[in-house]
Amino acid sequence: MNEASRAAPGRPLRPARNWTLIIAAVGAVSLMTWWSARGIGFSLVELACNLPGGRRLLVESWPPDWSFFPRLLGPLLETLQIAVVGTVIGGILAIPIAVLAARNLTPGFLVWFVDRNFMNILRTLPDLFWAMLFAAAVGFGPIAGALALTVFTIAVISKLWSESLEAIDMAVPEAVRAAGGSWLAMLQFGAIPQALPHYVSYALYAFELNVRASMILGLVGAGGIGMVLETQRSTFEYPRVTLIVLSVLVLVLIIEKISESIRRRLV
Amino acid sequence: MTDKAAIRFQGARVVYPNGAVGLAGVDLDIKPGEFVVVVGSSGAGKSTLLRSVNGLTPLTSGSITVGGQPVPKKEGRELRRLRAGVGMIFQDFRITRRLSVMTNVLVGRVAHVPGWRAMLNLWPAADREIAFRALERVSIADKAWVRAGDLSGGQQQRVGIARALAQEPAIILADEPVASLDPVTTHQIMRDLVRINQELGITTLVNLHFLDLARRYGQRIIGLKAGELVYDGTADSVTQADFKNIYGRDPDAGDLLDESEAS
Ligand SMILES: Nc1ncnc2c1ncn2[C@@H]1O[C@H](COP(=O)(O)OP(=O)(O)OP(=O)(O)O)[C@@H](O)[C@H]1O
Ligand SMILES: [Mg+2]
Repeated sequence: MNEASRAAPGRPLRPARNWTLIIAAVGAVSLMTWWSARGIGFSLVELACNLPGGRRLLVESWPPDWSFFPRLLGPLLETLQIAVVGTVIGGILAIPIAVLAARNLTPGFLVWFVDRNFMNILRTLPDLFWAMLFAAAVGFGPIAGALALTVFTIAVISKLWSESLEAIDMAVPEAVRAAGGSWLAMLQFGAIPQALPHYVSYALYAFELNVRASMILGLVGAGGIGMVLETQRSTFEYPRVTLIVLSVLVLVLIIEKISESIRRRLV
Repeated sequence: MTDKAAIRFQGARVVYPNGAVGLAGVDLDIKPGEFVVVVGSSGAGKSTLLRSVNGLTPLTSGSITVGGQPVPKKEGRELRRLRAGVGMIFQDFRITRRLSVMTNVLVGRVAHVPGWRAMLNLWPAADREIAFRALERVSIADKAWVRAGDLSGGQQQRVGIARALAQEPAIILADEPVASLDPVTTHQIMRDLVRINQELGITTLVNLHFLDLARRYGQRIIGLKAGELVYDGTADSVTQADFKNIYGRDPDAGDLLDESEAS
C-alpha cells in the first residue's frame, strides 16, 4: 500500500515479495540437510570427540620427510606427463564434439542429438570409473591414467565450449557462407575465431583439473604421484604422505599461476 | 548467351515463418554492369531483395535467375558455386576482427581453392595475389597484416569490399554499406563502389537509406514499399513525388545525409 502511494502514474509497481515461497524454500533446505546428516551419521558432538585422534595423526605427519623428495621427482614428472597427454588429446577431440553439439553450428538435428547424448554420458561417468575401465583394458600404469584424463578432458571442454559457440554472433559465419564458403570454411573463418579465447581458457582449466585428478587416479593404479601416495599411506609413512601432498599442492599452485597469466593475456 | 552478371526476378515472393512479407511478388530485370540503388523505408524489403539473390533468404515462390541459372533453394554445392560469383557487403562489415586483414580478404577465395589449402592456410600464390590486388583497389594494402579489429570503421568496410572483390564476382550486393559510417567516409566508400562498378563492370545492387546518396550515386533507382516494387527509373528522373510515393510521406531532412550532417 505504501508502494502504491509512492508509484507515479504509468510506472509499474514493484512486485510484492513472496514470503511463503521464501519460508518454504528455507524450510525445505533445512529439512533436507538434517535428514542427510542423520543418514550419514554426521554429528558435531561425535566430531568433537574424535578430534584427539585427528590431532595425533597430524602430529605424526609432521615434519614432512624431506629426504624422500628425490624419489618423488620421477612420479611427479609422470603425473605432469599424464596430464599433458590427456589434455592435448582430449582437447583436440573435444573440438568436433563441441561444434556438433552447438545448436547454431551443427549440420543436422540427428548429429546434434547423438553428440549431445554422447557428451552427457561422458560427463555423467566419473573420472575414477574411466581410470578403472582403462586400467582393466590396457593394464595399470600411466597409459590408463592418460586415457582416463583424455575422456575427462573431452567431457569438460566440449560441454563448456559448445555453450560458448552457441553464444557467438552468426553474422560473420553468414558472410563466409555468402562468399561461397563451405560448412568447414564457415567454422574456420567465421565461427571458431570468435570462441577461440574461450577454448584456450577451458583447455588450461582442464589441464589444472587433470593435474589434480592424476593424483586421485594413481589411487586406482593409473600411474603418477598418486600411486606413490597410495603405497606410503598404506604403510603408515605419514611424514612422506605430508611431503607428497605438499609437493602436489605446490605443483598445482604453479600451474594455476601460469595458466592464469596466460588467460589474462587472452582477454 | 545469358551474361553471368544479369539478374532476373519473376514473381519473387518471400514470406517469413512468422508471416511477415519480405517480398510480395517482385518482377525485375537487372542488366549486366548496372549500378542499381534500392531505396525504401525500414521493413520495405530491401535486405530481403538482396539476400534472395545469393540464396541467404530463399524464395517462398516465384524465381530468381542469376546469369540464367535459377538460384538453388537449398544449401549445397550448386548454391556455393553461385555465391562464389556474387560478392556481398554488409552494414556491419562482418569481418573476423581477430584475424588479419589478409585472412579476411582470402575468405573471398574459399570457394576457389581446395578445402584443405584453406584449412591449413596454404593459399596458392595466385590467390594471395588476387587478395592483394583487391586490397590495393580499396587503398588499404598497407594494412594487409594488421588485425582486422584494429582498423577504423571505414577501413573495416574496405576490408569487406576487398573480400567481395577477391571473389572476382560478376555481381556485388551491398546492404546499407555506409549506414554505420560518418559522412566523409560514406562518400569515399560510395565513390569506391561506383569506381569498381565502372572499372570492372561488376553489376552492383546497393541498398541505401539516404535519398541524396541514392540520387547522387545511383544510375538506376528502385523503390520498394511493403515488399512491392513501386518505383523503377533513372536517378536523374526521380522526383520528390516519387520519393513521397516510396516512403508514404514527404521526405525530410532526416532522409538526406548532407542535411542531417548540417543540422
Ligand atoms: N529473419 C526474419 N524473420 C522474420 N521476419 C523478417 C526477417 N527478416 C526480415 N523480416 C521482415 O520482413 C520485412 C522486410 O524486411 P527487410 O529486412 O527486408 O527490410 P529492409 O527494407 O531491409 O529494412 P531496413 O531498412 O530496416 O533494413 C519486414 O517486415 C521484416 O520485419
Ligand atoms: Mg535491411
